[in-house]
Amino acid sequence: MFESIDQVIDQLREQQYICDRRLATVIFLALKMQKPVLIEGPAGVGKTELAKVVALALNRQMIRLQCYEGLDEARALYEWEYSKQLLYTQILREKIGRTLEHVTDLREAVAQIRHHEDAFFSEHFIVRRPILQALLAPEPVVLLIDEIDRAEEQFEAFLLEVLSDFQVSIPELGTIKATAPPAVVITSNNTRELSDALKRRCLHLTIGYPGEARELEIVRLKVPEISETLAQQVVEVIRRVRALDLRKAPSISETLDWARALILLNAESLTPELVEETLQLILKYDRDVQKVTRELPKLLGGSGADSHHHHDHDHHHHHDAGVQAAMERQREHTADYFSSYRGSTRG
Amino acid sequence: MDAVVNRFIHVLKLNGLRISPAETIDALRGLTLTALVERELVREILACTLIKDARDLPVFEHLFEVFFQLPDVPHDHHHHHDHDHDHDEPGEPTRIALQPDEPGINQNEHTHDEPSDVRDYFDPEKMVSMFNLHREPNRLSLSSLSQHLILNRNKGLLDLVMKRLTHHLRTRRVKNVSQPGELNFGAALEELELDLIAGAAAALQDDLAAMDVDEALLERLAQQIDGVIANLPELLKGYIERELALRANEVQAHELEHLESAYNYRFNEHERRQMDELVRRIGRQMRGARSTRRTVSSSGRINLSRTLRGNLKYDGVPFHPILANRRDERPRLVLICDVSLSVRNTARFMLHLVYSLQALFSKVRSFVFVSDLTEITAEIERSSLDEAIGRVFSGELLDTDENSNYGRALEIFHERYLAAVTSRTTLIILGDGRGNQRQPNAWILEELRRRCKQLIWLTPEGRPSWQLGGSDMPTYAPICHRVEVVRNLDQLGRVAEDLARTSFVGWR
Repeated sequence: MFESIDQVIDQLREQQYICDRRLATVIFLALKMQKPVLIEGPAGVGKTELAKVVALALNRQMIRLQCYEGLDEARALYEWEYSKQLLYTQILREKIGRTLEHVTDLREAVAQIRHHEDAFFSEHFIVRRPILQALLAPEPVVLLIDEIDRAEEQFEAFLLEVLSDFQVSIPELGTIKATAPPAVVITSNNTRELSDALKRRCLHLTIGYPGEARELEIVRLKVPEISETLAQQVVEVIRRVRALDLRKAPSISETLDWARALILLNAESLTPELVEETLQLILKYDRDVQKVTRELPKLLGGSGADSHHHHDHDHHHHHDAGVQAAMERQREHTADYFSSYRGSTRG
Repeated sequence: MDAVVNRFIHVLKLNGLRISPAETIDALRGLTLTALVERELVREILACTLIKDARDLPVFEHLFEVFFQLPDVPHDHHHHHDHDHDHDEPGEPTRIALQPDEPGINQNEHTHDEPSDVRDYFDPEKMVSMFNLHREPNRLSLSSLSQHLILNRNKGLLDLVMKRLTHHLRTRRVKNVSQPGELNFGAALEELELDLIAGAAAALQDDLAAMDVDEALLERLAQQIDGVIANLPELLKGYIERELALRANEVQAHELEHLESAYNYRFNEHERRQMDELVRRIGRQMRGARSTRRTVSSSGRINLSRTLRGNLKYDGVPFHPILANRRDERPRLVLICDVSLSVRNTARFMLHLVYSLQALFSKVRSFVFVSDLTEITAEIERSSLDEAIGRVFSGELLDTDENSNYGRALEIFHERYLAAVTSRTTLIILGDGRGNQRQPNAWILEELRRRCKQLIWLTPEGRPSWQLGGSDMPTYAPICHRVEVVRNLDQLGRVAEDLARTSFVGWR
């Protein structure tokens, strides 16, 4: 268990995860208060990673529940093993016959069988899905509920009982309470709004793209073989690419992929050709690649120069874009706003 | 500490953030777990326990800054009114309570300075600096659009300002009354005026809060609080106008025309949020709730009863497990919308809803009519919301200057698009049913009713006025499964939600 916020920072750093105070505070509080943490933010900023390193730092097992559309309690909480139940009924047939041997009428037979009912609705016939696993684990675990926004709204309702009381009610068995409350981390990519009930039960944390210094630190830590100049250039270019209006801005994971790729290519520093060739690594959409290729000279312009220059450059960019582009972006924004549903529905 | 945090939470609530008691308790618990040495730490604890929506964070940050201002830091505001410069921070109600009121020496000033204080609240520049923190750094100049945006996003702020204003005035008055020695005749006169303004401001606030402000009321209001409102900057006036336009009830056609000039068909952030919320709720119900019926399929859960029944031939040994799965209920919607002048304000919201619904569901077809009827499904799919609505109202797709002719529109629909209506379709018609004395063609509506699953008519006009001059609603209404009066977003939301419940998931 973490004893202080600084300890959180230190221990996570030992696991090669760099976090700021804000993040550490939330993790610390969540563990102390035994509350789930809800982490929101764009893809690839280390939400899932955080749960993993917390598990490592605390030396706990991590149980992961990946959410997807159509996920239901049978896959997340528990399921009765029907086939097993049927099989047992068949195998135990004679035994059942013998039990009922001296029974004369039907009513009595039913009463007899009811006596043994709980044999077939015991934990023995339950398939433990991740959440139940986490609750029943003898040692406290870290339960990661990943990308909860992919599951339907009702699924959140299943979680409510687990999240607030760390228990599950199974009609046939009664309430199963956690032996050791797990640390719950929920991540969301924000493709849809989560229900208020869920949010209320969690501590909320938004992870965005890291600041320049922090990102540089992450690159150095995760890709230790990188040269200082290259690391700086990579981070700077990534930051400028992010400032462009892209469909999917590169995250930390893309920064790291890129840095590793550049190492493999034996690059000492960035050249326009090199960037153009490896652009596919940091951008996931063709349109984005084209856009960045067009802006490439500007992006690399002040690379390696001081931050003052950087600002200047940024300013110029916006100025060039002018009112028209701003309007256009605004319109696009609007369109996105209303079509954002399209992505998350089957409609 | 508890009291301070509670007060802070109260301020957050006043600013429109939703915070539950459970979250309040969390925050207090969280604060006890750490040594409160750093301000940053307190902020993080409060943020993660209280704020669950990233969009609310900027508001929180700002209020935190103001509320937990370090006492020794001088108030570095550029404000020049010396007597109550604290008041120009709308997010800072503690100040007003804590501030030792200056004795009545500068009462005179107060009387005529209050309005100018109100102006300070709405100083556009200041608003930007305070509430645009989270916007893009390269912001455009403060257009009227963003002004509205600011006000609309911060409806709570307006209320807060008004409340504080009245509160301020009242406390001042109470103070004076409780210290009769200080009262002189002149001051008493001042009190009277102060009281008037306070009352007026309260009235303004109440009326703004009331949902159905109408033209006449505003006029009365405007006269009533002349002294205050005359000094309110354009911003607030614009706000009231918009509120009016939004809630315009049974506004006559010519008034609508008059409004239109000031009123374009763009949607502001507030409306978008409201509509977004609405559509989300509907979508949740439509999409989320799967049909309770399970059908046999190749995947899914084992259906015990069917498996047992099906395997009886093997003496009950389950060789063939039978799986069953739930099927999603897919709504089929046909929307027919009157876009003539008389229902335009409602039509705007309706189209907004249509647009959002169409984005959500694949099987939505939308039609608009005045006299001619035309399908806009494709238009909506192709363009953005504002564009689509702009095109509908611009007369590009159909002649919008005609008088509405329900009979003819129904006839065209019957002729060309009847196939769109099947027994699984929910048909929604929006219009006031004023066919200008033309043939109502009610038989078509009857036939549509027979064909569709549910026929719903939404009208902006209340039932009493159906009797007046040339409305065909009395003819149409009994034919429909349901007729609902819808005048604003709230009502529309209620109906749409109802609809989602009954027609898409229930029944069948």
